[in-house]
Amino acid sequence: MDTRPVSFAGEHLLLHPDRALYWPVRQTLLLSDLHIGKSGHFRKAGIPIPAQVQADDLDRLSGLIRDFLPRRVAIVGDLFHAGINQDMEQFRTWRMQLPALSFVLVRGNHDRLSEATYRDLGIDLVCEQLSEGPFDLVHQPVPRTSVARHTISGHLHPGVAVRTRDRQTLRLPCFWLSGYCLTLPAFSRFTGLYLVEPGPADQVFAIAEDTILPLHG
Amino acid sequence: MEHSVGEQTLRRWMAARDMEPFPFQTEVWQHFREGRSGILNAPTGSGKTYALLLALFLDWMETVPDWARLRRNGLLLLWVTPLKALATDLQRAMQDACDGIGMPWEVGLRTGDTTAAERQRQLRNLPEILVITPESLHLLLSRKGYEDTFRRLRAVVVDEWHELMGGKRGVLATLAISRLRGIAGERKDTGSCLRVWGISATIGNLPEAVEVLHGKDHTAAVLVRSDLRKTTYVHSVFPAEVEQLPWAGHLGLQLVDQLYEVLARSRTTLIFTNTRGQAERWYHALLDAYPDLAGQIALHHGSIDRSMRHWVEQALGEGMLKAVVTTSSLDLGVDFRPVDTVVQVGSPKGVDRFLQRAGRSGHAPQEASRIYFLPTHSLELAEAAALQLAIREAKLESRQPPVLAYDVLAQYLCTLACGTGFRPDSILPEVRSTHCFREMPASAWQWVLSLLSTGGSLHAYEEFRRLVRAEDGTWRMADRRTILRHRLHIGTIVSDTLLQVRYLNGGHIGTLEELFVAKLKPGDVFHLAGKTLAFVHCKDMTAYVRRSTARNGMTPSWLGGRIPLSSSLGDTLRTVLQEDGPGKDCPEIRFLAPLLDLQRERSLVPGPKDTLAEYIRTREGFHLFVYPFEGRLVHEVMAALLAYRLSRQRPISFSMAMNDYGFELMSDRDFPLDAEQLRDLFRPDDLLPDIQASINAAELARRRFRDIAVIAGLVFQGYPGSLKQHRQLQSSSALLFNVFSEYDPDNLLLAQAYQEVFDQQLEEPRLRLALQRIVGSRIVLSCPSRLTPFSFPIKVDSLRQHMSSEKLTARILTLQRQSR
Repeated sequence: MDTRPVSFAGEHLLLHPDRALYWPVRQTLLLSDLHIGKSGHFRKAGIPIPAQVQADDLDRLSGLIRDFLPRRVAIVGDLFHAGINQDMEQFRTWRMQLPALSFVLVRGNHDRLSEATYRDLGIDLVCEQLSEGPFDLVHQPVPRTSVARHTISGHLHPGVAVRTRDRQTLRLPCFWLSGYCLTLPAFSRFTGLYLVEPGPADQVFAIAEDTILPLHG
Repeated sequence: MEHSVGEQTLRRWMAARDMEPFPFQTEVWQHFREGRSGILNAPTGSGKTYALLLALFLDWMETVPDWARLRRNGLLLLWVTPLKALATDLQRAMQDACDGIGMPWEVGLRTGDTTAAERQRQLRNLPEILVITPESLHLLLSRKGYEDTFRRLRAVVVDEWHELMGGKRGVLATLAISRLRGIAGERKDTGSCLRVWGISATIGNLPEAVEVLHGKDHTAAVLVRSDLRKTTYVHSVFPAEVEQLPWAGHLGLQLVDQLYEVLARSRTTLIFTNTRGQAERWYHALLDAYPDLAGQIALHHGSIDRSMRHWVEQALGEGMLKAVVTTSSLDLGVDFRPVDTVVQVGSPKGVDRFLQRAGRSGHAPQEASRIYFLPTHSLELAEAAALQLAIREAKLESRQPPVLAYDVLAQYLCTLACGTGFRPDSILPEVRSTHCFREMPASAWQWVLSLLSTGGSLHAYEEFRRLVRAEDGTWRMADRRTILRHRLHIGTIVSDTLLQVRYLNGGHIGTLEELFVAKLKPGDVFHLAGKTLAFVHCKDMTAYVRRSTARNGMTPSWLGGRIPLSSSLGDTLRTVLQEDGPGKDCPEIRFLAPLLDLQRERSLVPGPKDTLAEYIRTREGFHLFVYPFEGRLVHEVMAALLAYRLSRQRPISFSMAMNDYGFELMSDRDFPLDAEQLRDLFRPDDLLPDIQASINAAELARRRFRDIAVIAGLVFQGYPGSLKQHRQLQSSSALLFNVFSEYDPDNLLLAQAYQEVFDQQLEEPRLRLALQRIVGSRIVLSCPSRLTPFSFPIKVDSLRQHMSSEKLTARILTLQRQSR
C-alpha cells in the first residue's frame, strides 16, 4: 500500500488508498461515511446484502490503525447509516477492542442516534464542526474562498470517471481537493459514487485498488 | 348444419352491421366450443376481437339458457392487453357488442390508470369481462382471497401476444396464466374448462409463439390463421442525385422538400424516426423550411409530457393535424382513422417493424397501407428494395422468448405471498408448466426460495425478512410495509432514472434521462418537445429551464436508440445487392447504380454466398473492413473477437468501428492477411472463452443487472412524488452487482445477467450462425487503393464518436475529397 503525501494549508497529510487520510502532526486518522448498519438495514428490508461487507470495512479500519498507530480517529460524518440493528453489535465488539483510542465524530445527516448511544460506544460527538489547527472538520463540504480556514469534509462520496486506453470507463472513488476544501472518499465500500467535475485548479486523487492516482482538473 | 340459436343471434347482429363471419372467426368459435386453447394469427383491424369475444358469447348462450336475463355472472373473460392506450377503446367496443346483442354484461377496465374507487367497485361487483394489463393482473393475484375472483373464469385472451412474448412482460403473463389454470383445475362446480387464447400478428416463429403461451399444454393448442392479407405499398423517396460515398445522417434533412411533398399529397401523415433525437431534429427542420406548418404538425415521443402526448393523440384522431413526427411511441396503440400515409425515416432495422409502422395507415380490413421510405444515406435505399422483397416473401423476424428469468420468478412469488400466500410444492409444478421455467433445475428453485426467505443459500441472516413460512406451510410476506412496497413495484418495465423538465415558473415540459442532464452546464441549449430550452439548474430530480432564442442547440441523445439490423433484413439485403439478382429491376437498386458501380470498380459487391473484406491503407493507417450485414451488435462482438485473435498472433492493437453492414479494424501497423487466414479468424471454435477474453463482459452484465435488480425487488425506484421516503434504502444496482460479485458469486441473478448479455446483447446464437455462414462462404479479400462506398459510412461513424459536429462535417468533406 502506497500512501501519497500532500500539502494542504501548509500541513503535511498522507492520503491512503484504503480511503482514509493521516495527519501525522496530530496523530489523527481522518475518514468519512462509514455507514455502519447500512447492510443490516437493507437485510431488514429484504435485500440480501452479505454481513461480510461491513466486517471487511472494519477489518480495513483495523489495518489502518495498525499501520499508523493514531492517537485518535476523527470521522467527518455518517458513522451510522440508520437505526439500531445487529450490525451495531458487530461495531460495538470491534470498538471495545480499542479502548485506548479516542474517537470523535462530526455529526452527519445520517447520524441520528441519541447522544447516549454515542457516549456508550466511546465516541465524542461534535455537532457542527471541529476546528483543529488550520482545519474545520465538517460533514458537508462548504465552498469557502474568502476566509483562510480550510475544510475537510465527506458526505459527497466523491468519485471520478477515468477513461482507459481501450475506451472503457472506470469509476473510481477519490480525494477531491478544490480551493480550501478537501473532500474525503466514503470509507465504506457499500456506498455509491458521486462523480465530481473538477475545476481547472483542482486536484483529484483517484483510488485504483492499492494505489493513488493523481489527476488534475 | 343448422346454426344454434345463439349463433343465429350473433349472425343477425353482425348482418345488421354489414358484417359476415370470416372463416377464421367461425373456426375459432368451433375450437372454443370444444374447449380448446390456441393462438389466432390475424392482422389488425380484421375482426380478431370479435373472433374471440363472440366465441365466448356463443359458449355462454349455448350452455346458459337464461343468458339474456342473467346479470352478475362473475368474471368470465380476462382480456390481457399490453397497452393501456388500447384498453379504453377495447372496453368500449366490447361493451357496445354486449349491448347490441342484448347480453346484459358489464365490461370493466383495470390498468395503472384505474382509480382506487373503481377498483374497489369492480371487486364488489365483478364485471363479466375485464380488460387488464399483465401488471394489473399480477396486482389482482397479490390480493387476499384472489382465487374467488377467478372461480368462474371461462377464458383468458392475451392480445398482441407477439409484442409480449419476446420480453419479460410475456413471462409475467404466462406465470399469471399458470396460476389461473391452477385455480381452474381445482374447481369442480362447472364443467367448463379454462381456454387460453393468444392473438398475434404474423411473426417468423408462430409455432414457437404457441409453445411459449401454452407451455406444457401446447401440444393440445391450435393455431388459427386468417387468410386475410394486408396490401402494403412501399415508395422510396429519392434524393436528387446519388452520393457515391454515403454517410449516415448526411442525406436526411436535405430531403425535407421531398418530405413536404408527401405531406402535401396526404390527408394525415405519421413520420417515424428511429430515435427521439431524430424526431426532434426533423420537427425543427420541417418548421424551419415550411413555417406555414406551424400548428399543423406535432411531436410525439416517450420523453414528452404525458398530457401533451395525450393531446397529440386526440388531435390526430380528430384529423386536426397534418403530420406527427414520432418514434416507437406510436408503433402500437389506437388506430388513428385520418392517417393515410406513413413515412419511415432511416432504416427500420427489421421487416416486422416496417410493416407494423406501415399498418398505422389504412387500417380498415380492405384498405391498403402506404409507406414512404426516406433514406438517411443513399446506401439505405438498398434496404428499401430488400424490405419490399422480404415483404413479398414474408420473411419476418422471430421473437425470442426469455428463459429462466429468475428476477420475474422472485417477483411473482412475492406477489403471491402478499395475499393468500403459496405452498412451494403446489406452486412449483405450475411454474414449471410455463415455457420460461420448464427447464428450471430443482437447485435453482431452492435458491430462489432461500433468496426470499433467508437472503441466500450460503448465508442465513437473522434479521433478514421478506417472506416467512407460516405453520401451515404457506409462505407469506412478513410485514405490511414490505407488502405495500412490493405492490408498488410489480412489473418488469424498468425506466431509466428520469428527471422532470420544468420552466422556472413551473410549467412542465417532459422528462430527460439523468445521464443527459448530468452533462449539461447552466446556459446550455437543447431541444425537447419541439422547444428550444436553456438549462438553468437541477434540483430535487427536476431540471429547471427557460425558453431560449438560440438558433442551434443540442438534441438529447437518449439511450437505447440503436437497434441492430435484423438477421432476415440483412440476409435479404445481401440478396438484392448482388448483380443480376432479384433486385436488378428495383428502382432503388437502379438508382444506386453509380454507387454500386464505384464499389465494383474499386472492390466488389458481394453476393449472398460471398463475404467481402477490404484491406485499405490511408494516411491514418491500415484498415480492415468486413461486411457480414449482421447488424451492429453482432459486428461489435465480431470486431472485438477478430482483434483479440489477431493480437494473439502478433503484438498489435486496433481501434474498431462498425455499422449495420460491416465493421472496421484499424491499426497504425501493417497487418497483411490472406483470405484463408481471415477464414480462420472467423472460426466459431472456442467462441465463448475468446469472447470473454475480448470484451468486458462484466461491464455489460453490470448494466443488465440494473433491470434484474429492480424486477427482483432488490432496488427500489422510489414512488412518484415521494422520492425521499426511502432514501436509506437507496442503492445503485451497480453497487449491488459489485457486492454480490465479491461476496456471493453463485447468486443466480448475477448468472442471469451474464446469460442475458450473451443471449440478447451479444446475440450469441446469431453470432454463432453468422460465423458459421462466413466460414462456409466464399471469402473475397480486396485491396482497394482508396475508401469504397461500403467502407466510407463506417469510417465516418468512427469519427463521429470523437468529434463535435462542426469539426465532423469538415473532416468528412476532406475525407470525401481524399477518397474520390
